[in-house]
Amino acid sequence: MMDFIGSNMAPIMFGSLIVFLLFGYSVAFSLGACGLFFGIVGVEMGLMPQTLLQALPLRIFGIMQNDTLLAIPFFTLMGLILERSGMAEDLLDTIGQLFGPIRGGLAYAVIFVGAMLAATTGVVAASVISMGLISLPIMLRYGYDRRLSSGVIAASGTLAQIIPPSLVLIILADQLGRSVGDLYKGAFIPGFVLTGLYVLYVLAVTFFRPNWAPALPAEARTIREDSGSAGLRSLGVLMVLSVAAALVFAKTRPDSTPTDELIVVSMCVGVGVAFLLAVGNRALKLGLLSRMAERVTFVLIPPLALIFLVLGTIFLGVATPTEGGAMGAVGALAMAVGRGRLDMPLLRQALDSTMKLACFVLFILIGSTVFSLSFQAVDGPKWVEHLLTSLPGGQLGFLIVVNILIFVLAFFLDFFELSFIVIPLIGPVAEKLGIDLVWFGVLLAINMQTSFMHPPFGFALFYLRSVAPTSDYTDKLTGKRIAKITTEQIYWGAVPFVIIQVVMVGLVIAFPSLVSTNLGKEATVDVDKAFQQMQMAPKERGSATEPASSPASAAGGAPDSQGRSDDDAMKSLLEGFKKDADKKP
Amino acid sequence: MATLLQLSRLIDRFSEFIGRWVAWLVLAAVLISAINAAVRKGFNTSSNAYLEIQWYLFAAVFLLAAGYTMLRQGHVKIDVISGRFSKRTQIWIDIIGLAGFVLPLVYVVIHLSMPLVIRSYVMNEYSSNAGGLIRWPVFALLPAGFLLLGIQAVSELIKRVAFLKGLVPDPTEKPEGKTDEEQLAAFLLLKSEAAAREQAALAKKP
Repeated sequence: MMDFIGSNMAPIMFGSLIVFLLFGYSVAFSLGACGLFFGIVGVEMGLMPQTLLQALPLRIFGIMQNDTLLAIPFFTLMGLILERSGMAEDLLDTIGQLFGPIRGGLAYAVIFVGAMLAATTGVVAASVISMGLISLPIMLRYGYDRRLSSGVIAASGTLAQIIPPSLVLIILADQLGRSVGDLYKGAFIPGFVLTGLYVLYVLAVTFFRPNWAPALPAEARTIREDSGSAGLRSLGVLMVLSVAAALVFAKTRPDSTPTDELIVVSMCVGVGVAFLLAVGNRALKLGLLSRMAERVTFVLIPPLALIFLVLGTIFLGVATPTEGGAMGAVGALAMAVGRGRLDMPLLRQALDSTMKLACFVLFILIGSTVFSLSFQAVDGPKWVEHLLTSLPGGQLGFLIVVNILIFVLAFFLDFFELSFIVIPLIGPVAEKLGIDLVWFGVLLAINMQTSFMHPPFGFALFYLRSVAPTSDYTDKLTGKRIAKITTEQIYWGAVPFVIIQVVMVGLVIAFPSLVSTNLGKEATVDVDKAFQQMQMAPKERGSATEPASSPASAAGGAPDSQGRSDDDAMKSLLEGFKKDADKKP
Repeated sequence: MATLLQLSRLIDRFSEFIGRWVAWLVLAAVLISAINAAVRKGFNTSSNAYLEIQWYLFAAVFLLAAGYTMLRQGHVKIDVISGRFSKRTQIWIDIIGLAGFVLPLVYVVIHLSMPLVIRSYVMNEYSSNAGGLIRWPVFALLPAGFLLLGIQAVSELIKRVAFLKGLVPDPTEKPEGKTDEEQLAAFLLLKSEAAAREQAALAKKP
């Protein structure tokens, strides 16, 4: 009996962990208690060294010194301040009016604003609640399908998980030992592809089920010219002008400029042009721009300025993600003060919530550290590695099994728990199999996004439920009776988007280059290449990674130009700062 | 039991007090980090002290807030299974968790970390970075934070036992009555109603 326990300690411990977690007490302490229990038992049985637990305080000191995790409270605070600043409401209102009169327009507006909010903060709750309160009643008023409405709102809210800056990417970067900036860069394109898939889904719905997402009548627009026209032509002209300015600017950049820098800086130029025109038009009372054009410009400026302040500076390499988060938080505070939305109780509450979140997240990490200390002592990681590397199909088999595992676990665990408990176990195995960890991290982040959408425990669904009408009500504008949204409708609405998520995971596995992992010095390994290498020359894998990095580097800019472009980055930053200073009203 | 409940109330007030003040350290860390980033780029100067004080503050925030977070039920649980149990069973789970999980962990961490803190203090250890800060205060945060957690765990334990005896109302009810999300929803609804009224007033005027 004792022999059996001694030789199977790792699986026993893992099984016990599940029991401890499902027991239903706080995750952080259940993890810690499980680790402690086995640590003491192991030492008593002579399976572990006496000094095992001595390392614990040193490990916790290590967590305290972790610069990366410092970004968590910064981005959280930024999100909490922003959710009260009125930015989301303005965006939803204006973009909803803009897109409303086309078929499926309100759904597109929700997706667009969801992506926009996601790029400024990483808080799912705020997006879902804002959209549930503001867009959902309008969608119901004009007869949108209930499942489509609630699904699109919940899913667009979860975009905050994958589009940088997001908390899950910070934690994955920390757990996988990669830089947050690299994960942000890697997640950029998949985030937009995913947004595109949502749009495609809505488009498909408008073709096959036109009555699910009807176009709004023209009088639903309240932002109009005095003549009654919508003023779209002037918005179109303004858009063409700013896109042209951005393209012209992009052309004048040296070829060596990395793509992400090019996109960031050019977008700033385009937006700056639109903003200057709108301000000039208003200040000089030229009347050249329609109300809609002016409104759209002014409403888009605050989020775009914040995106530049945070993501722009991170991508340009000017700020670390932690600093970017801090600057974003200060920017959000400044904006909230500027709009007269920030008062003492709000600030207090935001700080309080930030502190509680940071505390519970870091305590889960402490708990999982205690667990992994004992788990390592019983050679647990080796057991997991053996289990996962013996799967048929090598890398692909591993990826499929891991993704199914995460997908299933996401029904019960949220991404904090997944990242701290599961990632430390599978990360090292992935690395041994030659999988690029940045790519792997982005893939897992897309998968973990489903943890917000899985019925019945998905948080996004839960938040939406809390703001969706629970009883029939009379619409104030039209005086019509509108039925409540049932919980079942919310669940069914999420299903197509969970499927889209699975499709996206498949896409990233099939086309690894979607995730730009070009980092200059780090070799990129995509699945196919690695397969070939493993078959051809197992011994020469180290040298064979050289050519593998070249296709990806073409997409992200040549590595050796990195040094030169730094100067450009500085210059464009200064320009950006100047522009930013102009922007601040 | 009455004395114990009094003790529990005292502890709750104490944790509340600590939580209220520690929250401001979040703001301090944000400001220092943002200013440090701007100054570093703008004037090309920086000091390790400013970098280090950021994680000192961060460590202070999450360690010292541990007790307060527990008071506010902020440490998340997986209630997939336990959510189906009766209230009393859930309280029993909490009691086992507090006495069997939290308190031993608190004891082990304090027991193991104190010698390191004392050694750091006696040796007057400084950070190895140029211009770095003195180390023992930040090391001391670890046992201090776990002590606060332990005290709060005792208070929670008292409250739960008292609940089982029918002496106090359900201690797992959130004290504010509303979750953060509910508060946000209420706030947004208020604002949008105000905006709608304004619009209606504007429309009537001409």
